[in-house]
Amino acid sequence: MIYLLYAIVFVICIYTGRHYWFTLNRLFGFQRHPYIDIDTADWPPVTVLVAAHNEEKVVANILDALMTVKYPEDRMLVVPVNDRSTDRTREIIDKFVEDFPGRIQPFHRAGGKGGKAAALKDAMELVNTEVILIFDADYIPGAGLIKQLVAPFFDLEVGGVMGRVVPLNAGTNLLTRLLDLERSGGYQVDQQARMNLRLVPQHGGTVAGVRLSALREIGGWNENSLTEDTDLTYRLLLNGWKTVYQNRSECYEEVPEIWPVRIKQIMRWAKGHNQAMVTYGLRLLLGKNRATLRERIDGTLLLGVYAMAPLTLLGWALALGVFYQGVAPLHGVIALLSLTAYAALGNLAAFFEIAAAARLDGTRKRISLLPFLILGFAVSIFSVSRAAFSQVSDLVTGAEFHWDKTERFRKVS
Amino acid sequence: MNPYLAMMALFLMVSLMCMLPLVPALVELRRKSDAQPLRVVQQNAGEIRHFANSFRDYIKEIEPTIQRCVTDGTTATGTLVNGEEYVVLGRADEPLLRALEQRDALHPVVITAGVDLTVPAESTLSKEIYAGSLFVGGERNIYRAILGENNVHLGAASQVTRWVHAVGKFTAERGCRLYGRISSDSLIRLRTDCIFLRLNAPRIEIGDTVANEDAASSLVPASANSVPSQRFFHDGDFDVEPGEIIRGNIVIRGNLHIGAGARICGSVKSTKDLVTGDGVSVGGSLVSAQKMQIGPNCAVHGPIVAERELAVASGTRCGSLKHPTTVSAPRIAVEEGAVVFGTLWARERGEVVVGQ
Repeated sequence: MIYLLYAIVFVICIYTGRHYWFTLNRLFGFQRHPYIDIDTADWPPVTVLVAAHNEEKVVANILDALMTVKYPEDRMLVVPVNDRSTDRTREIIDKFVEDFPGRIQPFHRAGGKGGKAAALKDAMELVNTEVILIFDADYIPGAGLIKQLVAPFFDLEVGGVMGRVVPLNAGTNLLTRLLDLERSGGYQVDQQARMNLRLVPQHGGTVAGVRLSALREIGGWNENSLTEDTDLTYRLLLNGWKTVYQNRSECYEEVPEIWPVRIKQIMRWAKGHNQAMVTYGLRLLLGKNRATLRERIDGTLLLGVYAMAPLTLLGWALALGVFYQGVAPLHGVIALLSLTAYAALGNLAAFFEIAAAARLDGTRKRISLLPFLILGFAVSIFSVSRAAFSQVSDLVTGAEFHWDKTERFRKVS
Repeated sequence: MNPYLAMMALFLMVSLMCMLPLVPALVELRRKSDAQPLRVVQQNAGEIRHFANSFRDYIKEIEPTIQRCVTDGTTATGTLVNGEEYVVLGRADEPLLRALEQRDALHPVVITAGVDLTVPAESTLSKEIYAGSLFVGGERNIYRAILGENNVHLGAASQVTRWVHAVGKFTAERGCRLYGRISSDSLIRLRTDCIFLRLNAPRIEIGDTVANEDAASSLVPASANSVPSQRFFHDGDFDVEPGEIIRGNIVIRGNLHIGAGARICGSVKSTKDLVTGDGVSVGGSLVSAQKMQIGPNCAVHGPIVAERELAVASGTRCGSLKHPTTVSAPRIAVEEGAVVFGTLWARERGEVVVGQ
């Protein structure tokens, strides 16, 4: 038991060190933004997929925004992927098709397997451009975003691109404010540091792009994946394609405004991530693939991020257990566990990463909400652990994964 | 003291101390003083002409004054909407020259309409200038920003701190320091020892003698779009033989040397240094994760990106009039005789050097 505790504390220490490394790199290291200056080019044709499942509240906003972006009109086709919507999504999309002839080609899906990956997979029949961009329907791209997300594809190594996500409804309540901080830390520090250090920036599946030839090479969208973005990141990596992160390619999104929705969302992410860990973990670390050594190590650690929550809980339980068993002296180990657990665990970023991100973003007062992150930490550690345990039990009982769409809160426009 | 009371006091004290870090959090949660979404640039795409366009809009309010000065051939002064002083020169530029003779910085926004503006040497103009006609600056001048409706010419060793946009040609003599954005709707020409950051024009000429357009364009193969998307992947250093023709894209995980006269009908990526010989042509993009050195008389069709340093030799052409492109690196050294069609963007420092 005590050796297991030592092992857990060791792993947690590695994650803590990793987070400190990222933060210091972001504050003092060389910052990589190699493609952001490409503002003039022979822009390639691009297809923009907009994943929409019952999105009547938000779909008009994104289509409006996409019709005004600065990209050659004759080289951009918007494909709203209406996945079995039962609300007014289809009607709204069709109105846009009428208003902007030739610029929008809808893909209305009435049946088939649920989930974003399955819908995107079916929609690929309409795609014949080398560059594909993907947005969820609640996002609002700015005028220059399409060019910024396309630019990295001039680099032949790039298979996937990810932009920065910024909550639009940040000020609604405590939860949205905490999520705003978390997103800030996760993108401004964590993702950019991984980009700087040539590690594994993660594809987020929205405000993102993928190269068609790369996607074909890796076998297309994996409809069995709960988080198609994580799945895509690792399959690209295993096949020698890079995913790059563009911190300055920012896009507004809507974050959950109520805790049950947030818990559902994070549980889905955790399950999808763990699924990818089981599928690709060993192949990445030890298998024959095109990833560099640092990508193998970071990629494996990234896969284990959501396993940290149950591991931390187990560590606490073990610490209590050995204490009551009378095993002594363990003060150092337990102190280390207490110190590192909070610094190692974060769905998107640890608290000091968030503090650094707030500084980099030039925000001032919102950082005073930092103590409340303990609340988000508590909710996350139990939700993520619950997701992991239910995943194991599903495996035993043979229950199938199902995909839950995140509820929207915007007023219908 | 009553032990129960003492316990209670202790409990309250500890609770208060635990709550202490939450006080600023609770105050912020209630006041929402920093609860706005982070500012994301939604309306502009970071265009180089953004400041120039904004300035044009900014001075629209005094259009009637400008028209009057042009018609009457008079000068006028006044205050813009944000309280900034302006001077409109309708015919002669005596007020401007008078101020500059005092060798102090000229503070008002200067607007000249319908007359050519010649600024004497060693002048400092610390506010924006709008030139309705030709703008000719003397040597060793310092400008904040210039919007010229015609040609803009800067004398040797002049300095621009923010931006310049010329509807006509923009030329900078030897040793100019061009910090910020410099753009033109027709041509930018920089002489030796000029320092620059971000340039954009249909044609950017470095030095007086530039590559022959017809000769160089014949080197450029078909557009990258028509090249198969398959990649040739190689781990380790790699040499493309002189004169070799490669149809396709190449990714080299190591140093790459492209021999003289080689033609790549596709794009190229090197994860380390990339060096090209004389007269190489590349149909797509050229990307290096470290340093890149483009030899003389090369032609590159697509974007050129080096993550550390880039050297472009004389006679090299980047992009074309029909297919403008971007050349970008933190540090760029461009020899006289090179031409870029589109954007030349050095994040940290770009300089014009004498050809070998």
